[in-house]
Amino acid sequence: MSLPSSGAEALVVARGISKRFGSTAALQDVNLSGHAGSIHALTGENGAGKSTLMKLLAGVHQPDAGELHIGGRPVHLRDPAAARAAGISTVFQELTVLPNLTVAENLLLGREPTRHGLVDRAAMLTDAANVLARIGIALDPQRPCGSLSIGEQQLVEIAKGVSADASVFIFDEPTAPLNRAEVDKLEQLLRALKAQGKLVFYISHRLDEIFRFCDTVTVLKDGRWVCTEPIEALTHDRLIALMVGRSLQALFPPRDGTAPGPAALEVRELTPLPGAANARLLLRRGEIVGMGGLEGQGQREIIRALAGALPPVSCDIVRHDREGRVQPFDPRHGVEQVVRHGVGLVPEDRKLEGLYLELPIADNIRLGLLRGLGLMRRAPRERGVIEQMAQQLQLRSRDLVQPVGDLSGGNQQKVMIGRWLAAGIDTLLVEQPTRGVDVGAKAEIYGLLRGFVQRGGAVLALSSDLLELIGLCDRILMVRAGRIVGDVPAEGATEEALLALALVDGAESKQPSALEVTA
Amino acid sequence: MNSFRSGSSRYTVGLPLLLFALLALAAPSFLATQNLVNVSGQIAALLIVSLGQMVVALVAGIDLSVGSVMSLAGCLVATQADPLWGVTLALALGLCVGLVNGLGVAVAGIHPLVMTLSTMTFLQGLAYLLLPIPGGAVPPVLGALANGNLWGVPRPLLWCAACALAVYLLLHRTRLGLHIFAVGANARSAHLNGVRAVAVVVSAYVVCSLLAVVAGIYLAARVSSGDPAMGAAFGLESVTAVALGGIQLTGGVGSILGVVTGALSLGLITNGINLLGISPFLRGTLTGLLLLAAVCAQRRKVVGL
Repeated sequence: MSLPSSGAEALVVARGISKRFGSTAALQDVNLSGHAGSIHALTGENGAGKSTLMKLLAGVHQPDAGELHIGGRPVHLRDPAAARAAGISTVFQELTVLPNLTVAENLLLGREPTRHGLVDRAAMLTDAANVLARIGIALDPQRPCGSLSIGEQQLVEIAKGVSADASVFIFDEPTAPLNRAEVDKLEQLLRALKAQGKLVFYISHRLDEIFRFCDTVTVLKDGRWVCTEPIEALTHDRLIALMVGRSLQALFPPRDGTAPGPAALEVRELTPLPGAANARLLLRRGEIVGMGGLEGQGQREIIRALAGALPPVSCDIVRHDREGRVQPFDPRHGVEQVVRHGVGLVPEDRKLEGLYLELPIADNIRLGLLRGLGLMRRAPRERGVIEQMAQQLQLRSRDLVQPVGDLSGGNQQKVMIGRWLAAGIDTLLVEQPTRGVDVGAKAEIYGLLRGFVQRGGAVLALSSDLLELIGLCDRILMVRAGRIVGDVPAEGATEEALLALALVDGAESKQPSALEVTA
Repeated sequence: MNSFRSGSSRYTVGLPLLLFALLALAAPSFLATQNLVNVSGQIAALLIVSLGQMVVALVAGIDLSVGSVMSLAGCLVATQADPLWGVTLALALGLCVGLVNGLGVAVAGIHPLVMTLSTMTFLQGLAYLLLPIPGGAVPPVLGALANGNLWGVPRPLLWCAACALAVYLLLHRTRLGLHIFAVGANARSAHLNGVRAVAVVVSAYVVCSLLAVVAGIYLAARVSSGDPAMGAAFGLESVTAVALGGIQLTGGVGSILGVVTGALSLGLITNGINLLGISPFLRGTLTGLLLLAAVCAQRRKVVGL
């Protein structure tokens, strides 16, 4: 493993870094060197170890093996305060703004100006005002941060990181909650830091940002160093291939090419909300139906109404079981009834609405086996069934007693789907099947859904990613203003055609927001 | 002092004013100078302990051991002939208890209720060992400091003012004070921002125990003798006072004004019940209801902060 030599002495050097959490190796023998006056991107799939590596530099974790050098000297960063003292400023992925402190106090927390040993409030206010003015954020430094919007808090977070007196700046996916204008502002700030001769580490999945303003890219994969290259030496495709280790084509499982089976859920009439449009749709066994549209066009309400999570105003729905018998189906009776009929929802926010994060994987799946059992009935202890399910899901976990909260987004989603599979559900309503899931696990989740319909299930998948809809589904429904305005076969569909359906009349005026859909 | 993190509202400030007005109307003897001096003397100890309890509440902790610390500190000064030596011993005791509580909570990760319940029980035992029955003699120098007037002001008020000023400076003029608020709001975020959260929590418990020692010395000096059960009620009373004052027991929100209003309210209730000849048992009933009402009102008001 050789590091690229770029002549000048590196400011930050990490050599042979290893870090384990429990029995999971987060980093194995990773090398990294960053040079002053550059923006150094760190990328890789979720769980590749980039955040862990940066947290070692930020003093949050300490490496099990290997050494860190800053400015040529070995350092031991025992806590975040020590890292700051060593000249490393970090903007963490999570918001660390404290709601009961003012903007000024948050900006200067941990490095408050003092006079005669006491906090110099006046200096604090002027310092904060200067920082805000320099960065161009119009906020009153005396406002309590609890009264700011999430976006404003993120700006305070970034301002805090940028304004620190440091030589190394770390940004861990800072752009997730930012809009385009704010990303542009961040880019200016990063370029300014670079011009001042600072070293910036920038963690991101967003390739366009990496190519726009980073100088060097380090790719990690499965906790190992893959390569460090100057940006000029890379192309989008090459970078993706380095991150994933395979091409994007292989992401989606092949469609069967057979005709869809009998009907599973026949929605003759569905009005999710008072005054909303009437939606009609048909889910058949053996096919994955996609649902798309611009944000907030009512597609989410339709899927939630079907799941009983948002009881509809009125509906006329018929359910056909596997033997072809017809049953009335009324989601107004609530989620429990819907599940009893074999229809399950995989929610977008699986941490809040789907999983029991503190419980082990096995229990999360076992809950599916309890479906339809009385409260006082003896719970089945089907160890074999659960193990088999975990294998089918291709779960990557230490063991089955690991809490679900410790898993990566992709593995959590697999557990979520696994619970419904264990419950013998035969119609899945999936919201954003791969949100927060890394590229590798995406393919496996697509494969799970495809396998599910091949065994006679039906899937309705809501996604804001048009490419995902096209690749995964058999048929795509486009929703506009609560109405299903298009029903197109996914084979041969193009993003442009789908967008046109999503927009229609206001096509020109709405073009900019259309970009958000595909982003 | 910033209003958004003081926890004070018109209710917490209005409660003691309302009680004061009611008592002035209902009990003619309430406004007599002697009674007011008595009330301030009674409230002083509670106020001083509650100041410490607030500092711990600000870091989302609770300290039940303050009562036992008071008792033991009182017994120490009542059994030592040399006042300086007695006070030094008592302060050293406070320092040790605070360190043990703080390290137990912040380093060993013991829940504050359990941690301070242990020290409370342990220290209560020590107090009985040292002075099985009330007695001993507090050196007269200390007695003189706790009674009477100085420049026309009752000395108990001066004790309160000094402690309040010290806590005010700590919370609002030192870095530690800001860090206490930060850790109370979210210990992890504060840690990521370079705040040494463990040190902050330990300091908060030390400050609390030291204030309990001061309250114990004051109370013993007032009656000139030690009593191993002297402080027994103060642990929960101080928590009540702090909650009545609008201080959030979940951390990060509180103020000295809140402690003052909370302690005043409790003290006035006690005094009123004495003056009006109401059964003293009703005092607990009333306090319990008030506490519940205060906490309910709080959660609705400042939730999400």
